[in-house]
Amino acid sequence: MTSPSFPSVPSRVSTYLCELFWQRVRALLLTFDAGWRLRDIRGDAIYYGVDGSNPGQSVQMLRDLFIGLSIDEPQDLPFVELPNGTSAHLHLIPDRDAFHVLLLDAAAERDRQRATQQLGNEQALASQAKSKAIGQLKQIRTELERQHAKLEEAHALKNALIATLSHEFRTPLTSIFGYLQLADRRAHGDASLHEALHAVRRNATYLFTLAENLLEYGRSDGAAPLLNPTPVDLDALAADLDAMFRPLAEEKGLDFRVSLTIDDVEQPVFDEIRLRQILVNLLSNAVRYTRHGEIAAEIVWRGGELSAVVSDTGIGIAAAHRDTVFMPFNRGGHAGRKGAGLGLSIVRRMVDQMRGTLAFESEVGRGSAFRVTLPCGRERAAAHADDAIAPRFWLQGRSILVADDDTDIAHLLEALLGDLGFRVRVVGDAQSAVVEAIAGRPDVLLIDVELSGLSGNAAVYKLRSRGYKGRIVTLSATATSEAREAALRAGADHYLTKPLNVEQFVHVMQQAASAGWNGGGDGSVGA
Amino acid sequence: MNAVAHKLCMLGDFGVGKTSLVARFVHSTFSEKYLTTVGVKVDSKEVALPGRAPMKLVVWDIAGRSQLDSLNMTYLRGASALLLVADGTRERSLHAALNLLMQSRTLLPDATIALAVNKLDLVEQWEVAPAALAELRRSLPVHETSARSGAGVEAAFADIATRLAQ
Repeated sequence: MTSPSFPSVPSRVSTYLCELFWQRVRALLLTFDAGWRLRDIRGDAIYYGVDGSNPGQSVQMLRDLFIGLSIDEPQDLPFVELPNGTSAHLHLIPDRDAFHVLLLDAAAERDRQRATQQLGNEQALASQAKSKAIGQLKQIRTELERQHAKLEEAHALKNALIATLSHEFRTPLTSIFGYLQLADRRAHGDASLHEALHAVRRNATYLFTLAENLLEYGRSDGAAPLLNPTPVDLDALAADLDAMFRPLAEEKGLDFRVSLTIDDVEQPVFDEIRLRQILVNLLSNAVRYTRHGEIAAEIVWRGGELSAVVSDTGIGIAAAHRDTVFMPFNRGGHAGRKGAGLGLSIVRRMVDQMRGTLAFESEVGRGSAFRVTLPCGRERAAAHADDAIAPRFWLQGRSILVADDDTDIAHLLEALLGDLGFRVRVVGDAQSAVVEAIAGRPDVLLIDVELSGLSGNAAVYKLRSRGYKGRIVTLSATATSEAREAALRAGADHYLTKPLNVEQFVHVMQQAASAGWNGGGDGSVGA
Repeated sequence: MNAVAHKLCMLGDFGVGKTSLVARFVHSTFSEKYLTTVGVKVDSKEVALPGRAPMKLVVWDIAGRSQLDSLNMTYLRGASALLLVADGTRERSLHAALNLLMQSRTLLPDATIALAVNKLDLVEQWEVAPAALAELRRSLPVHETSARSGAGVEAAFADIATRLAQ
């Protein structure tokens, strides 16, 4: 190697330059013999974290930096960050039977480079994240369009189904009511036959109301309903109500009265099915919960508004239940009485759909009065159907591994799955789930996503990335499509949310257990 | 008796978590702040091996790159092990890690190698599919790690140490 030639300068200048360079680069020079024994140390040792009085540890640190490298050749390691945080350019310079290690300060240069590099890297990361987000947005849009088309199709199917069901229910019930009336008229003097026919009528009325209510309840709360306003014959409606409920009321020894006042020359236009159902539900409740006294329905058509007051002298509704009386499956106001608890909630929903008002007054032991007002109109909206409920299957002898760190939930799952016939094993953390699933190869692994420590998704990923082919169901408290997608991407076959819908849970378990280890390959995996 | 020292180099694209893995392994710490590495940062830790003498791993945390340049080659010289690091949330970082592996093979044909796919705590955002890792496992040891939670970190380094000792 040839030495670089320096211009000839006065020795004072040369000395000055040397001092200046030494000072600027904060040089530290260590001289070692061939066995890494320190012979000499010169320069700013403290700056590099080298303890000049006890250099053993620092020598070891420097020695580590040259592991695997020859000390017989010059070595140059730029930008080495030392344990004390400073950065140095490291040079190893062989010198006959010894060698020197020279450290030159690189901190300022390192900081400059870091600032530039940091900015560049952060921009690149942000750009990648942006591209990813745009891609995801496109996917979401496509998915939304697909879901929208699917919903429209489901909506059309649901409407057709409801229309068919309504018709299918009403047709035979109309016939039943008609023949009941006919039979009642012909059963002269036969008290037991009268009694039997009344029982049939009572239960047919209940069935009719329940069927109509369930059909209505089957519509979603989320979407606006499709109203079908048509001219309504109020006289016929009042007569129908009278025919339907008078026998039931009289059978219980109650006075029954339906009155109709028409003060408007315009023909009323309403969704007749809903109007009828509102009045049927209110009257049905009144008959059901009144033992003595009377039931009255007063219908008034005046000024483009229909008002109806259904009053009774029944058991009444306690003040404590006033706020919940319109909630579905609530029978608090009439505790211990039969009925699905849907009637008043459906009245509330229908009145809202028709943009009307609903109020009631009630006193325990004295009776209740429900007042409905409905503006005449032609409102239109939409609704959609709930998912179909899957059938129940039993899964005798199948094995399942449950991973949940919530003891109560784990016990619940164990009991539910045991009832279904599964052989259940429970573990409390994700890592154990990975180990046990690989070792035990259960038919199904049911794992909570939100496990403490390693998450359920991470465990699923680890299993799949080791070639695990068994069925995996994840259970999560997060009911979002993003969470579902993430779980499926990690490798789950099914995603269930809490609180559990038992029917859906059973259906999914049946699906998972039936699929078993048919995902391909022999299912052997490495830990 | 001093433990036998081995040089282990961390290689991977920028931002995959090499520095965080070393911090977790050596100091049991983690910082949320991303600070890019310039040049190389050297740390060491003694690893206990069952039935064997302890081993000192001298860990070279090399600045993130998707390609090996001459500077990286300088740092790699003398290494007996490579821990390639990818970020599970960025699939291209896995490609970069595999690319770095191929490039480093010419310089270090006999080095002990493992792949750490980091950020397991963000598994919900991973782009790397489980099937891809299942396939890679056929040719090299793969560890899913999280420098944030510590999951898989000890196991990854212990795996390398164990194979170095054999």
